[in-house]
Amino acid sequence: MATEVLVDVEVNGVAHQVRVPPRLLLSDLLRDRLGLTGTHLACEQGVCGACTVLLDGRPVRSCLLFGVQVDGQQVTTVEGLGDEQALHPVQQAFHDEHGMQCGFCTSGFLISTAAFLEEHPEPSDQEILDMLGGHLCRCTGYQNIIAAVRAAASRQEVPS
Amino acid sequence: MTARPKYVGGAVKRREDKRLLLGRGTYVADIQLNGMVHMAVLRSPLAHARINSIDISAARQHPGVLDVVTFDDIRDLVGPLPCIDLFPDSKQALHTVLADSKVRYVGEPVAAVVADDPYTAEDAVDLIDVDYSPLDPVVDLGSALRDDAPVLYEEFGTNVANTIHHEVGDVDAAFAAADRVFSERFDIHRYGAIPMETRGVIAAAEVGTGRVTLWSSTQFPHLARQFLAGVVSLPESHIRVIAPDVGGGFGAKCEFYSEEVLAPVLTMRLGRPVKWIEDRREHMLSTTQAREQTHDVEAAVNADGTVTGVRVTSYTNNGAAMFTLATTPASIFSAMLRGPYRIPNYRAESHSVLTNKTPLAVYRGAGHPQAAFVMERMMDIIAFNLGMDRGELRLRNMLTSDELPSDRGTEIVLAGKVEYDSGDYPRCLQMGLDLIGYHEFLDEQAAARHDGRYVGLGICCYVEETAIGPYESAIVRVDSSGKVTVLTGSSPHGQGHVTTFSQLVADEFDIDLEDVTVLHGDTDLIPDGVGTFASRSAAIGGAAARLAAGRVRQKAMDLAAHLLEVSPSDLEWREGTAQVIGDPSHAMTLGELAQAATAWNQLPEGFEFNLEATHRHQAPGIAFANATHIAIVEVHPRTGQVTILRYGVVHDCGRVINPIIVDGQVHGGVAQGIGGTLLEEFAYDETGQPLTTSFLDYLLPTASDIPHIETAHLESPTPLNPYGFKGAGEGGAVGSPGAIVNALADALAPLGVTLTSDGPYTPARVLGLIQQASDPAT
Repeated sequence: MATEVLVDVEVNGVAHQVRVPPRLLLSDLLRDRLGLTGTHLACEQGVCGACTVLLDGRPVRSCLLFGVQVDGQQVTTVEGLGDEQALHPVQQAFHDEHGMQCGFCTSGFLISTAAFLEEHPEPSDQEILDMLGGHLCRCTGYQNIIAAVRAAASRQEVPS
Repeated sequence: MTARPKYVGGAVKRREDKRLLLGRGTYVADIQLNGMVHMAVLRSPLAHARINSIDISAARQHPGVLDVVTFDDIRDLVGPLPCIDLFPDSKQALHTVLADSKVRYVGEPVAAVVADDPYTAEDAVDLIDVDYSPLDPVVDLGSALRDDAPVLYEEFGTNVANTIHHEVGDVDAAFAAADRVFSERFDIHRYGAIPMETRGVIAAAEVGTGRVTLWSSTQFPHLARQFLAGVVSLPESHIRVIAPDVGGGFGAKCEFYSEEVLAPVLTMRLGRPVKWIEDRREHMLSTTQAREQTHDVEAAVNADGTVTGVRVTSYTNNGAAMFTLATTPASIFSAMLRGPYRIPNYRAESHSVLTNKTPLAVYRGAGHPQAAFVMERMMDIIAFNLGMDRGELRLRNMLTSDELPSDRGTEIVLAGKVEYDSGDYPRCLQMGLDLIGYHEFLDEQAAARHDGRYVGLGICCYVEETAIGPYESAIVRVDSSGKVTVLTGSSPHGQGHVTTFSQLVADEFDIDLEDVTVLHGDTDLIPDGVGTFASRSAAIGGAAARLAAGRVRQKAMDLAAHLLEVSPSDLEWREGTAQVIGDPSHAMTLGELAQAATAWNQLPEGFEFNLEATHRHQAPGIAFANATHIAIVEVHPRTGQVTILRYGVVHDCGRVINPIIVDGQVHGGVAQGIGGTLLEEFAYDETGQPLTTSFLDYLLPTASDIPHIETAHLESPTPLNPYGFKGAGEGGAVGSPGAIVNALADALAPLGVTLTSDGPYTPARVLGLIQQASDPAT
């Protein structure tokens, strides 16, 4: 058995210290070691986007990183977006616009959309399509996902 | 006092969303059990080969490995996996849990390893050494049918597993009398469901009782329980199947797979829970694929455009074995080819052919997309050759609502007799033409062609079997708090059953949606059920839930009459309360009645304790939905790129329970049809090696590939259930291939291109067709 490596990582604002094999994927670290199963694996080849998390605020595919690579960094998963009392505006918009069916790909869409709207508070339709192009959904036909991103964008324009 | 607005028919937002949005769903992969170990599967690297020997010694000795099995280790414990839609005279080309002396497709399970963690299990799979003698593979239909073709199952002496016949009217007389006969060969390519969640199972045997729990990403937990019981010879009472959150299925999980037996067998051997999560490559190799068929079609047509007869011989490339629902696509195709058209004389012969490809079974629409594609392509070819308008030709041949019900003289395996129940097909088509602006388009097309642009419009009208039996179960109970619990035998995977069923039951009791809890997907909780497939859940399962709720309400009324000492006819039901008419002060709430229903001494004679009822709803026949899809596309003549400019659907699924959910189903189905038509293909080389084993080479549509889908609804209630519901889950995928390919053919018509395949029309392929048409010598 290969030597295990100590990883210090802050996930959703909570500091964790975990000892992991060097080959353990970040996605498996989050899911199996930290119990954050909202991050889903649908291809493990970096294509589908389901496993997207934020690493120091930027969206990354957690299936394409090893856990040891996030040492000393901050990770945000879908569990860190909103909570039961207050859904994140993007989560609320996906609900309002029926931008989800089976829910399996949804976490990745939510994470990418949240990061995208931070950088593009007033996105054009083409910018929305370009961002969504990094994610696969097999249920919705994307129409209501596009509507949800637009709705979330329009809500974020309201000064808080 | 105004009545409370009803939920049924309303755009009710989904109740299942919140936990999924918060990342708190529970899919099989999310479940961890104490002492759980992990299974990995060794799969065949060859399409057709004899297994001489399997050496598992190195794998067994690998640190962390707990067990390794081949078929010889479990041969005495397991029977073959069932195919439930075989005809009595079909070849029983059933598959075994692991390969028995021979492999017949790349990806076939050969051995299984269990280890402490999934990484180690995969390492050990690589240490298994299998000695194969390759055999000649049969890959395409043509070579599988040759007299000298290698046969997959020597005992049958043929690769044809099954043949279905239909004969309606006097077909040969119709052809003899026809003014024109059109003949075409149509090819449908292989693509598939590809749910975002791959398959997965966990099995745990209870020490001391041997009772097995199987968590599976399945569309039909109750059927899985029955199949597992049969394969491992356990009584169903010793098996519990749980379908937790399931991340899409579309038919691919409407199957019972080897891994759903392997994990239970291994947990029984080891006494520890065994988990297996399919990876995407395994999914592309070993989960059922779909659609692939070839059809020789002839149509007998009068000069006025009346189609008097159709003859069709079709072949389905079923791959290497007859899986759970292997015959259904061919059966639906041949029973439903004529769609909404009269065509009084009809003959179909439909063969299921075995090849060394991954097994084929149902995928959203089963044989309907193929039928709609073939019939609607044929209609356009006839219209073009007769110089008739496409819409007019269709309207001339369509059954009108006055002609329904209409016994079509065919039958679908498992589902039964094809007798169209209700609908207005001509109106649906007319609404579609109006929605898209058909006549305006013809003017625009003329102008576009003048400008050197290639735009085209395609129509696809279809009729679709939905809401099939045999039945669905529901238990409705009211607890002492007055809240209602619904247990349904239909287990969802994204369709929104919780919301839909809540709407139905809340309306029956005239209570808030939030007062209804809907539970599903656990065979210990719900004694029996059938599942979610064939667009059946709302119509059959929903009707069962509503009817069970009605029985509970009646029981509550009877109890209230007894306790209030009035006649039942003096009571009315309002807002979850039985009230004396005209005197709301004399009333009992659901909660009070539920409490009274469990109390001593005060119940009416013969009253069964508790406010609970079970109903198993059996429809007296199939409810047939229908739709018109119209696509407008543009082809870039120099790149071959196909752009969908407009897409319209007029959909008739009877009475709509929730338009948000129905539209979502239509969108998703259309997107899958677009994917199959423009992008997706399970490709194989001539040795049977799959070429599309990842999302890098099997292209799924992204947001940019799907146009805005315009929808409109026509509601023709079915008389086959009390509420008029038909199914809505699959139709989007049924109409889209035909609509898009007809549009593409229309766009390319000035170039002399003819299309007889359903795709995928990738830019390279379209460019090739254009070049071939402009220079036939190439």
